[in-house]
Amino acid sequence: MAITDLPEFIRADGPDKVTGSGRYTADMTLTGQLVAKFKYAEVSHARITNLDVSAARAIPGVFAVLTADDVPDLRYTPVIADRTLFARDVVRFEGEVVAAVAAISAAIAEQAIDAIVFEYEALPIVTDLEAAVADGSTLVHPDLDSYVITGDTPHEGNVATHSSIEMGDAEAAMASADVVISSRYVADASHAAPIEPRAIIAQWEGDKVTIWTSTQVPYDARDGVCETLQLPSNKVRIIVPHLGGGFGGKCGFHFEAHIAALAKAAKRPVKLVFSRWEEFVAPDRRREGMIIDVTTGVMHDGTIVARTGALLLDNGAYSADATFFPQAAAMHVAGPYKIPNIKIDSRLVYTNHQPSGSVRAPTAPQGCWAVESHTDEVAAAISMDPLDFRRKNIVHTGAIGPVGQTYDEIGLDQCLELATKSAGWGNELPDGEALGIAVGWWPSFAASAGAFAKMHGDGKVQLITGANECGTGSVMTLRMIAADELGLDQTDIELVYQDTAAAPVGPGATGSQTLLNHGRAVETASRQIADQLKELAAVHLEANADDIVLSGGMASVAGTPTVSVPIVELAAEAAEGDLLLGSASAPVHDSPELFGSTCLGDQDFASWLAPQFSCHVARVRVDKDTGVARVLQVHTAHDSGTIINPVAAHGQIEGGVLMGIGQALTEGTQYGEDGRQQNAGLLEYKLQTIADAPSIHTQFVEIFTPNAGPKGAKGLAEAPNVATAGAISNAVARATGVRVRQMPMTAERVWDALTTSAREDDS
Amino acid sequence: MTNTIELTVNGVPYPVSIATDRNLSGVLRNEIGLTGTKEGCDDCECGACMVLLDGQPVNACSYLAVQAQGREITTVEGLASGEDMHPLQRNILATGGVQCGFCTPGMLMSAHALLERSPDPTLEEIKIGLSGNLCRCTGYARILDAVEATAVEINS
Repeated sequence: MAITDLPEFIRADGPDKVTGSGRYTADMTLTGQLVAKFKYAEVSHARITNLDVSAARAIPGVFAVLTADDVPDLRYTPVIADRTLFARDVVRFEGEVVAAVAAISAAIAEQAIDAIVFEYEALPIVTDLEAAVADGSTLVHPDLDSYVITGDTPHEGNVATHSSIEMGDAEAAMASADVVISSRYVADASHAAPIEPRAIIAQWEGDKVTIWTSTQVPYDARDGVCETLQLPSNKVRIIVPHLGGGFGGKCGFHFEAHIAALAKAAKRPVKLVFSRWEEFVAPDRRREGMIIDVTTGVMHDGTIVARTGALLLDNGAYSADATFFPQAAAMHVAGPYKIPNIKIDSRLVYTNHQPSGSVRAPTAPQGCWAVESHTDEVAAAISMDPLDFRRKNIVHTGAIGPVGQTYDEIGLDQCLELATKSAGWGNELPDGEALGIAVGWWPSFAASAGAFAKMHGDGKVQLITGANECGTGSVMTLRMIAADELGLDQTDIELVYQDTAAAPVGPGATGSQTLLNHGRAVETASRQIADQLKELAAVHLEANADDIVLSGGMASVAGTPTVSVPIVELAAEAAEGDLLLGSASAPVHDSPELFGSTCLGDQDFASWLAPQFSCHVARVRVDKDTGVARVLQVHTAHDSGTIINPVAAHGQIEGGVLMGIGQALTEGTQYGEDGRQQNAGLLEYKLQTIADAPSIHTQFVEIFTPNAGPKGAKGLAEAPNVATAGAISNAVARATGVRVRQMPMTAERVWDALTTSAREDDS
Repeated sequence: MTNTIELTVNGVPYPVSIATDRNLSGVLRNEIGLTGTKEGCDDCECGACMVLLDGQPVNACSYLAVQAQGREITTVEGLASGEDMHPLQRNILATGGVQCGFCTPGMLMSAHALLERSPDPTLEEIKIGLSGNLCRCTGYARILDAVEATAVEINS
């Protein structure tokens, strides 16, 4: 088969990616380009006493050295403006950028970094979440009250924001419960760890800057550059070449402004490529460590009557987008259950760790792991089968959830049945093996997104979209949607994407929004051209435009396909007259109403538009001598509404499951007593390999979902990352008889739990 | 210290002047201009830079370019024959084994080396052969399918 002759469901960027011709940001070179390097704090908390870059600036071949003195003096980030581009007076985590260098070679840039005089007085570090919220703790931001803080963001001391979800009277209901179970679970921080380390190139032409960058969210990157360097939005163009994965780690605005400022000062294009260590320590998108205390009151018949919870989330040194997540975490600790009385308090706590932020389903794997483990403990306490207990308590169509939202047609109950049946729940397994169940959920997010579409005289179409392709398949699915509207083949459609100068604004690859928001914009813009084609065809075929159907490259009269005209002929005609152009902005869906709940510090994360549901069942074998847990199979069932692109959908599930296994078993950041990461490398921070991968069996519960994406589709990229760790935890517990309360559930921790339990049995 | 050496990449000789301490991946990407070989860690951890040296898979990030003199270097750009993709390239697209694509070149080179030495590999052999290549997107299942499909194809 030739490169030009590919079947359906082949990604449009696929041939580029398998032949090596595709260019990622690090693959690009501009004439005269300089190499950028950052000077990092490499200390967790300190007051700067001397920062002298004069020796670095004097080195031949060094074209620019920048510090906080060289950029506008302002603080940024989305909700709490707590951050500056370069450290100013105080550094608050090891990866904070103190200075940046642009030089003619990497070796000279390194030499310049070494020549920077950076002296400081160490300050006490804040790393323990409980100590951080206790009276008298060192404050990470003593001047927090003086920062610009927007939204409903209650903050005090080291608490960046405090959110809650509350409904009914949890205290009274708990007192009336037959059985009350309390659990504590602790999740370590982890990382997105895309295989492509980020890269940025900036080039100025006059007063305009073009920035090629490996971001998931070009408009957020543009807005960050505009805000921090005080530039108008039409002077900054962000282009994203092929993007080598993101998983949330490349959301937000990171280092684009540093490189733009260096390029301006050096009067040359400047390129930054991160090392793997930098990719681990510098971005403000780490999956937050969490302490989760949860208590559930249940009746002997299995009815949950109350839940309370207290959560602490490690914000790290700056807030990035993490202010949204205490409430998200509370929703995951509530879980997709009917709980009439609930009160969960959730606090985002400043520490001297790397900032946390959106990583694929932020807070969900930790929250779901904790609450699904707890759910099995509750079921065990009343001697009920975990499947039956969930059957009784999960939300179903028409049920009222934990914050008073009534769910329209949903398929969680079907997911539960399908996944457990597929896994053979109840069947006997060899010694040391067990199944574990977890259910999870994740919202869809409404955001503004636009699209342009144009059909050329030869019948070929360009879609200009703000969507971003980080691997999830938007290059396939958006083409499918347009092809369907226009009656064309996918190969007739070409995407113009990842360029803020070309496309209307949109969220990019974040929050599983490509289909939901960009997809609707593409659908409407394509439909506008379809309508124009139908008007033209109506004249040709002497029919009513409403009766024209577009299919297989032809416009024909409904019911009489022989009365037809080729679409390409209509396109040629339009090219000489009124052009075939579409432009659409997808309406932003309203959030569903909540009844009877009160939420403190509401970050719009309690009302869930078009929620996605899942059930994962893991089959795990534990070697009791070593504590090594191996995941043999994962059976999943997902309600993500209509599935438009099955290849992409299965790909998301399988990748999400494997990331979930990593979080469950091996992926956890270890901090030294100095607050610094000790395993910031891919040998020490272990991702799953092909040898670790289990067989994954997926079924979709396809329910047309109104107020969601095109054709009743919901999002899917984050949902598979929610329930895997919880399912593994429950399987480990059933296989061993002991509960591991810290994630990742490493061999050491499993072994520790086994030996502690054995010692207790002996005594 | 700079040396002028000749590197043979995908059958084409390239004379290059490079410092002795340069790694092979950097020279392939910058001097020779073949950027299909990716760099993900510079430490033999991720496998994105996998190339073949006389048919053996090697992490090019941790191999000196000068040591590759006199050897046949094969990169992902050398897999296709003109416009015709290698069956591995075709199959990894057809199975859905490519998402972000950053690990794909290295994965293809490891798979190619595996099939050259073991044209009909067992599942276990495939897993061992590809365990030096990290993929964060796919969960590996469809990459494995692509290697199995290719083995069937080349043996039929």
